[in-house]
Amino acid sequence: MPTAPIAERKPATHLENHLRADLFIPELKAKKKLAVLEELTAHLAERKVTRHPEAVLEVLRQREALGSTGIGKGIAIPHGRSTMVAERAVLFARSSRGIDFEAADSLPVHLCFLIVAPPMEQDPIYLRLLADIVKSVRLARARQRLLEAPDFESVREILTASVARE
Amino acid sequence: MNEQLQMLVALQDLDLMIREAKDPERANREEELGFPLDGVVKLERTRERLAKQLDERLLQMYERMSRRYARVVVPVEGSVCLGCFMGLPTAASHRRTSGTTVDNCENCGRILYRL
Repeated sequence: MPTAPIAERKPATHLENHLRADLFIPELKAKKKLAVLEELTAHLAERKVTRHPEAVLEVLRQREALGSTGIGKGIAIPHGRSTMVAERAVLFARSSRGIDFEAADSLPVHLCFLIVAPPMEQDPIYLRLLADIVKSVRLARARQRLLEAPDFESVREILTASVARE
Repeated sequence: MNEQLQMLVALQDLDLMIREAKDPERANREEELGFPLDGVVKLERTRERLAKQLDERLLQMYERMSRRYARVVVPVEGSVCLGCFMGLPTAASHRRTSGTTVDNCENCGRILYRL
């Protein structure tokens, strides 16, 4: 009996490979930029991504001094390489109230993606991850769906579909 | 981790950030993605301030090794230096440092910390 062709599946994107259910904060408690960065790094420490959240926080603070990672349209992507991180990690967090993140368009931030990585000089995946996230939130519809997603699995589906479409 | 080692870690992370912000290809890519990188001077000032707070001997050690290695402060995993991947004597791999002392890998000389 002839076998049905195996459905072709696109290889997972870098973003898809880094999404983790335990690195999802459905609703941030903090409302201001620094407090949000503290909440995010504390979450990384709870999930054993780092044992030194204060060192990671310092990297993120310095990265914000270099230029705000609030890129507009309610999105912030704080990112940095830290000696105190052993592996790349992506944390996704939401704020329905909105965060004052000193964003490019001065609008409050509702969707926040944190990328941390070890301090490797040659790490093309780090920049590709950044590009994947920027792509995934380009459309207003995707941003709205991410805000309304009921759980992590829905978030994963939306992000994966958005990167693939772009 | 002692305070001096924490400052060395901060210095190393800051140096990498400054290097990347000054690398034209890398900076262009980030700017294309929507991230402005106009605060390099601010970071360089922070670096100066941080370097002044470090023990002079440690700073010189760090600066000297930075010319040779991209990463001077590296983790120990098990009893292996993750800079040169050579095994450390058991005593050295468990030693705790205090004050302004740091541990160096006996093979490559890099400054060690425990993740």
